[in-house]
Amino acid sequence: MKKSKVLLPENQMPALEKLHDNALMEKVKNGDLDKLGLLFERYKKPLFGFFYGINKDSELSEDLVQNVFVRILKYRTLYRGEGEFRSWMFHIARNVSHDHYRRKKIKANDTIDAWQDKLGSDENRMTTFQQEENLELLSLALDRLPEEKREILLLSKYQEKKYKEIGEQLGFTEGAVKVKVFRAMQDLKALFRDLEAKR
Amino acid sequence: MENDNIKVILERYNNGRATKADIVAIEQLIELGTIDLEELLDLKQMDNELHRIGSPEPSFQLDDRFYAFLAKEKKKQQAFTFMEWFAFSWPAPKMAFGVLTFLLGLALGYFLLPKNESEKTELTALNEEVTSLKEMMMLALLEKESATDRLKAVSLTHEFDDASEAVTRALLKTLNKDSNVNVRLAALDALRPYIENDTVRAELIKSIGKQDSPLVQIALAELMAAVQEKSSVKEFEKLLKNEKTPEEIKKRIREKIEVII
Repeated sequence: MKKSKVLLPENQMPALEKLHDNALMEKVKNGDLDKLGLLFERYKKPLFGFFYGINKDSELSEDLVQNVFVRILKYRTLYRGEGEFRSWMFHIARNVSHDHYRRKKIKANDTIDAWQDKLGSDENRMTTFQQEENLELLSLALDRLPEEKREILLLSKYQEKKYKEIGEQLGFTEGAVKVKVFRAMQDLKALFRDLEAKR
Repeated sequence: MENDNIKVILERYNNGRATKADIVAIEQLIELGTIDLEELLDLKQMDNELHRIGSPEPSFQLDDRFYAFLAKEKKKQQAFTFMEWFAFSWPAPKMAFGVLTFLLGLALGYFLLPKNESEKTELTALNEEVTSLKEMMMLALLEKESATDRLKAVSLTHEFDDASEAVTRALLKTLNKDSNVNVRLAALDALRPYIENDTVRAELIKSIGKQDSPLVQIALAELMAAVQEKSSVKEFEKLLKNEKTPEEIKKRIREKIEVII
């Protein structure tokens, strides 16, 4: 059987590859390390947002993003290609976050006062980052949630509510994850109302 | 729980009058999948607001650090070890490699001698033997349990100038039946050079209806759009009508078939 010389235009190949995280990770696993760069460009912001949502520290969040990709490369041979790459990546991200806090022996659910101290180092960035008042209150309420509940809402946000994926990471059924999300949202609603009343 | 009761509980919740017993019932219904979180209106709104909460952007330093790390890792990787060539975990490829080496050695001998017509014929036969051996290896690897071995098998086809019917048949079978989506994607990639062949094209069109992975569905849509294969549109329309196809995938498929129509 003859190979056709008139094939897809060159720019079809990169477009095709770009679509498939899993295919990119398989290439990384097989030694094409440049493809990790594509995955980095795609996921550096969601990962940063996830970590920042937990710790409110930009520098720390950048460190943790870097650590995620170091681990992805280190453990690339363990990548099985089952399920979504994003799910595997956020599983690593959670471990990176937990390991950091275990090492530092710092509780992630800091008091609001400690959080405001950290705000000083990010103040320059935050002043350029405008939010509506309600969003600010909601953001504050999110920070006041216990770490476990905040984490589940962040995972839901950055994994586009793929509850089955999240369940596989956390070791729960899809239904149990949805109940956890419901409870976290109920608590968030209560905290938000408290903050609104005190405004 | 009856539908009417569920409606009453939801109405109470959405009007802010849910009791503690209602909340417990709602949790049970959520876990069972009887109701969706989207049906709880105030939580749905709050969820939309949550998605609007942004965060600062990472700095360029993150990029610098990552790419410096990647460059370092690529340098480390460049050290070539001959042991990698013998990393097969089972003996048949080692034997095949040994035979290949022997045959290539013979081929080298032929190159060093002056050629005449009969020698050229023998060289062609030798090349055919080598290709045939590679095909055998590929077909054997495709049957292995490890997805990595099957991916190696598919990648071997890129070394063939022209694949036999047995190889394209094997690739089509892999595209339709392999349990690993990455192997199926690699098989589709390997079949692209043969799309001008009527049999391969027809089988690829049939494959559309056999795929349940969105990644492979989109890859097929891209391929059919690139070659403007109008007879694929019917199969894609079936996918669009299928309730199980996610909306995002339907949107992408529609974009592709609009190019064809």
